[in-house]
Amino acid sequence: MSEPVMRSPLHSFGLASQARQIDDSCGVWANEIPYLGYISLRGDGRDQTFVTAASNALGVPLPLQSCTLSSSNDLKVLWLSPDEWMIVAAPGQANALRSCLQQALAGVRSQVVDNSGGYTKIFLGGSKALDVLRHVSVYDFESLQPNRVVGTTFGKSSAYVFRQGDGYRLIVRRSFADYIWRYLARAATPYGFGIANAAPG
Amino acid sequence: MFVFFCPHCGENREEEEFGYGGEAFIPRPSAPETLDDDAWGDYLFMRKNPKGWHWEMWSHNTGCRKFFVVKRNTATNAIAGSWTLSDGRKAYDAEGGAT
Repeated sequence: MSEPVMRSPLHSFGLASQARQIDDSCGVWANEIPYLGYISLRGDGRDQTFVTAASNALGVPLPLQSCTLSSSNDLKVLWLSPDEWMIVAAPGQANALRSCLQQALAGVRSQVVDNSGGYTKIFLGGSKALDVLRHVSVYDFESLQPNRVVGTTFGKSSAYVFRQGDGYRLIVRRSFADYIWRYLARAATPYGFGIANAAPG
Repeated sequence: MFVFFCPHCGENREEEEFGYGGEAFIPRPSAPETLDDDAWGDYLFMRKNPKGWHWEMWSHNTGCRKFFVVKRNTATNAIAGSWTLSDGRKAYDAEGGAT
């Protein structure tokens, strides 16, 4: 038996080989940002012991305001619900972060689960990215502030969306990644859809 | 199309993000094993179905995935407000429970 290897849910699209520099030729640019670490953290946001322990272990304050996120250089902490957060970590860091959190939260009512196989991240940018989001979802993305994250409907599926730099980042379930990628590509086709290389973070 | 205020997310969101959760605050019998079939059937299947104000649950399926309470008028589709389950219970009790 060989060692198991992680394969991106969008592997079959061969995105890496189509990627090119972002220019003016397309209105929408996208790519997958694969192999990040996703940790699901659950606990009571009103429990000060939990909040302090989790914030110290993460190195950034746990976002307690609804639909907000906090970030440092190598991780993002997304508020998903009053008792659930998603931590997005750089590739290969999930394991260390999970054990660090589990140690810090020992004895506190909480749950830390490494969910890295369950999600992937999509970069969406370009001058027409907002138009594509308007096509595919019901949320008013124009009013989405940079420090906010929303969970909303994407066709038959859902995604967590936040702004970063001049584009958007979508966190989608692995099982729906294929569907959402095709859905975005179809919505973006009239504007010109390009696969961007070196998607920033 | 409804626009609901999700008390957990603190934002108005489109109906497409939500799922209907049925009538709110149906008391579960404390000792189900002592009930006869009629009473258990009433608990499971019988609903008020009023014309007018109705307390009901909705779940924010694609957002925070939490249930909350909405007071909606079934005749006009007017919405009086939405609350978390515990706050909704207080508001529901303050108007004397079932109306």
